Amino acid sequence: MTLTAPVITRTAAAARAADVWKVYGSGEAQVVALRDVSVELERGRFTAIMGPSGSGKSTLMHCLAGLDAVTRGDVFVGDTKVTGLSDAGLTKLRREKVGFIFQQFNLLPTLTAEENILLPLAIAGRKPDRAWFQTVIDTVGLGDRLGHRPSQLSGGQQQRVACARALVSRPEVIFADEPTGNLDSRAGNEILTFLRRSVIEYGQTIVMVTHDANAASYADRVVFLADGRIVSSLDDPTADTVLDMLKAAAG
Amino acid sequence: MIKASLRGLLQRKLRLALAVIAIVLSVGFLSGSIVLGDTLNARFAGLFSTINENVAVQVTAKDPDAAEPARLSQADLDRLSRVDGVAQASGDVSAEGVIPFRTDTGKAVTAQVGLAAGVDSRGDTLGLVELREGAWPARADEVVLSANTAKLAKAQRGTQLKVFVPQLGEARTYTVSGIAGFAGGRDSLAGETLVMFELKHAQELFYGTTGVYASASFGAASGVSQDELKKRIERELPSGFKAQTGKEATEEASNALGDSFGIFTIILSAFAGVAAFVGIFLIYNTFNIIVAQRSRELALLRAMGASWGQVIRAVLLEALVVGGFGATLGLGFGIAVGVGAEALLSNMLGVDLPSGGVVVSMWAVLWSYVVGLIVTMIAAFIPAVKASMVPPIAAMRETVRPDKSLLGLSITGGAFLVPGAGLVALALTGIGSATTLVLAGGVVLVFLGVALLSPLLAKPVVRLLGWLLGRGQAGKLGVRNALRNPRRTAVTAAALMIGVTLITTAATVAQSFKSSIEDIVGQNTGVDIMILGPNTGPPNGEIGFNPAALDEVKKLPGVTDTAAWHITIEAAIAGTPAFISAADVPTAKRMWQMQEVGGQLRTLGAQEMVVDDNMAEASRWKAGDQVTVGIGQTSKKYTIVGIYKRTPTLQGPILGLPAVDDFAGKLAYQGFVSLDDGADVAGTVAKVEDIMSDYPGVTVGDMSSFARQQSQAFDVLVNAITILLGVALLIALLGIINTLLLSIVERTRELGLVRAVGLSRGGVVRMVGVESVLISVFGCLLGVTLGVGLGAAFVKALIDLDFMSKFALPWANLAVYVGAALVFGVVAALWPARRAAKLNVLEAIAYE
Ligand SMILES: Nc1ncnc2c1ncn2[C@@H]1O[C@H](COP(=O)(O)OP(=O)(O)OP(=O)(O)O)[C@@H](O)[C@H]1O
Ligand SMILES: [Mg+2]
Repeated sequence: MTLTAPVITRTAAAARAADVWKVYGSGEAQVVALRDVSVELERGRFTAIMGPSGSGKSTLMHCLAGLDAVTRGDVFVGDTKVTGLSDAGLTKLRREKVGFIFQQFNLLPTLTAEENILLPLAIAGRKPDRAWFQTVIDTVGLGDRLGHRPSQLSGGQQQRVACARALVSRPEVIFADEPTGNLDSRAGNEILTFLRRSVIEYGQTIVMVTHDANAASYADRVVFLADGRIVSSLDDPTADTVLDMLKAAAG
Repeated sequence: MIKASLRGLLQRKLRLALAVIAIVLSVGFLSGSIVLGDTLNARFAGLFSTINENVAVQVTAKDPDAAEPARLSQADLDRLSRVDGVAQASGDVSAEGVIPFRTDTGKAVTAQVGLAAGVDSRGDTLGLVELREGAWPARADEVVLSANTAKLAKAQRGTQLKVFVPQLGEARTYTVSGIAGFAGGRDSLAGETLVMFELKHAQELFYGTTGVYASASFGAASGVSQDELKKRIERELPSGFKAQTGKEATEEASNALGDSFGIFTIILSAFAGVAAFVGIFLIYNTFNIIVAQRSRELALLRAMGASWGQVIRAVLLEALVVGGFGATLGLGFGIAVGVGAEALLSNMLGVDLPSGGVVVSMWAVLWSYVVGLIVTMIAAFIPAVKASMVPPIAAMRETVRPDKSLLGLSITGGAFLVPGAGLVALALTGIGSATTLVLAGGVVLVFLGVALLSPLLAKPVVRLLGWLLGRGQAGKLGVRNALRNPRRTAVTAAALMIGVTLITTAATVAQSFKSSIEDIVGQNTGVDIMILGPNTGPPNGEIGFNPAALDEVKKLPGVTDTAAWHITIEAAIAGTPAFISAADVPTAKRMWQMQEVGGQLRTLGAQEMVVDDNMAEASRWKAGDQVTVGIGQTSKKYTIVGIYKRTPTLQGPILGLPAVDDFAGKLAYQGFVSLDDGADVAGTVAKVEDIMSDYPGVTVGDMSSFARQQSQAFDVLVNAITILLGVALLIALLGIINTLLLSIVERTRELGLVRAVGLSRGGVVRMVGVESVLISVFGCLLGVTLGVGLGAAFVKALIDLDFMSKFALPWANLAVYVGAALVFGVVAALWPARRAAKLNVLEAIAYE
């Protein structure tokens, strides 16, 4: 095993992709999921990634989070160069720097809601900050459900637990891949409101992949992907400006 | 529909492989044991047809075990040889227990069987034994050895050889006049020794007079059939004799051998039974998990319109294909195991049996498919029925099944356990009669009962163990995983439980025996040195030592008293089989400090006996009563003249020395020596050993070395049982590996998730390891508890029968078992944990 020392670079970005290519397969079956993508995700901001299905949104997010290796280019999370990290380095990165919210199956069925929320800290062997934990719980509004198992929670409640889990370790960046994709608009809006609040009130950096213009309107900035390239971006979006942009891209 | 199901099966290569391995291993050891038993039986049967190859008719006494069996006179033999159609005739003079001593070490040769025969200058006219060098014995002090005997005794033509003759009760020295072999160039028939004496000398030695034979064999002239010759010979037969064709004699002999071979067959089938039983758990669990994991897929099929019956049929077809394939492979593997084990065994025993093909009986095939096919189908059927009973959408949405009540299962468990325990108790109160089946049935029911109850136990026990072992977050997750499906954990553990239970039972009984012996030794009797007969066969008077040898012992300095103990198990008291001793009661009273409870402990005359107080009470006997005592073929009325107090060392009926006349031989089986205070015990033991060196297999020791020796014998026994049950443990190990691997497949997403939130590879390994160790330690604890319970039941029964005096726990063994279970758990986790740790995080999260 080779341990690559993290390269320290001064940057204001919480996460950064520089000239990233991602190619799946080879020969006939080759798929280029990302073509020379460079993007900076500013600290303390809420960024949404949008684009048609298959455009490479999930791939970009996975590469940024160190869940997938890039084919070419570099990825940084905070000061850490992710590309080239060993498994141990990646594990450390996940413990300290990033949080995840997936579309579904976010929780361990054997643990209660509270245990699920505290899992990343427990794994890292860190003591939870009780005051912060309380704040997070209050933010997501789960107070009376902490002792329940995932199977006893609704989909919306499960996603709230997942949000709380991502927030509780105060990571550099939270990556969320269609976190509201499986929820109705009310439950979805609740989740988005928590994410928004954690950005405004606690300065959390969040990157979210979404298909939904309304969801994207909660973000500070929207980045549009098409066919593996960043085609445009929009600051302070509203549902209408996002829809216009999508129409323009499709047309 | 069916096609879709089979394709689904083939796509899950890992699961398919695990299921097939489970079936192959279980079926393999089951059929392997059966094949081994059948093949060995066939080999031995082949041995007798070799012996009787040239024998057309055999004439033997109708009752060879009679006190005075009928003998053929020389005149009888001559008359029979003149019967028309007889080509060769050979009178048989033979004995067993004739043992040569090695010329280099002076120690008795250790072979399974020590045969002796008498031959005249013509040798073996029927052509089984051929002289290789030298000459047939012409004088009373000459012998011819089989090549195997010569090899074992390190003797050659011309060497002086010491030979123990039980009829003489002592060893004599002979000159080796020649070496012989068997037809076909073999050195022995089955590893035995064979010493051939000059005919007249042999007759005198074995039968006490010349010119008599025990039986005779006849070869037929060409054109005369065995049956025809038998008819002609029968017309000339002296009374008390019967004639058999060579074929009939072969059949009878191999049947008789089959009976004495019975214990081996029983051990083998018990072993096969345990392997199959554990295998059933393994197959059941593996297939059960595999189908349960597919319940979402089955629900999808249902949602798309497949009927209940279609789903079940598809699953059963799958099980049929996998089970049939596995059972067939398993049978093949079993045949290979049987052949290998047979070769290994004959090699180890130094038996040089006639070769022949491997025997695969109908039973081997039948059992292979019953276990491989039917168990697989049942294992698949149950979860398939469960899956098809939940509404499809519920099954598809369901990620974790909510905890189902264990009540029904536990009640069923109790319904097995209680009658099972009852049967065991019943069998143990009547030990000795035909209760083996009741006992085995009871034990199987107890196993099933505990296995069914074990999910209920799994929760508290695993939680407690988890608290001890599951340190760190990874450990805690492992504990949760072990607890999440108590049925799965419990069935997996139960497979291990079976082997551990049996081993613990054996260890408990052995430990109790050992500590009972220590008790005896600790008792302050007047006996300082013990002389023990050989363990080559049951005591009956034909093995042991000449009691006259004790006269020499008595002359040694420091020796105050000696007592010879004649023992036979070929006896019955008032109709029930019994173990009977004959000794000089006043000497015994002095040496063992026997206490008189009733009557008188005096020197016994013919047909007088003393019994212990327990026995007298149980049978309501008092001094002066008459009891029928059968020894060998005799049956006489004995008068009880005295009753003594039973001690752990001394119990049972003791007859007077005149009774020894009815024993099969006059050799004593045990001897006791008392010494002066301060006498040199070790030195005296050495001298007694010297005196006893003429008697093969007789051992001498002081009381503590005797205890040590007995302890070692029990340790060897327990180790042998452990090794035999190793296969059961191996199958259980595979069971744990299977469960872990399948669970990992099932939890792929979760593994991805915990990795995504920061669990390291090492953490994943620890998590799987803890789960594995918990399962195996839980199984071990179940087994140890059950084993101690069963052991205690056995010990109680044995104490009631006076075979031992106290119950003792084998603490050291128990600690080793639990420690081994820890290691076992770690070993079982190696591969699954590696697999889990190697999972790609992203793929694991995206896994469907
Ligand atoms: N493991 C893989 N192997 C091969 N090709 C892949 C793999 N994962 C993704 N792709 C391809 O890469 C491209 C981008 O996929 P990606 O999952 O990033 O799309 P997406 O924008 O997230 O789409 P969606 O909105 O449907 O989730 C697609 O063409 C996809 O087929
Ligand atoms: Mg996607």
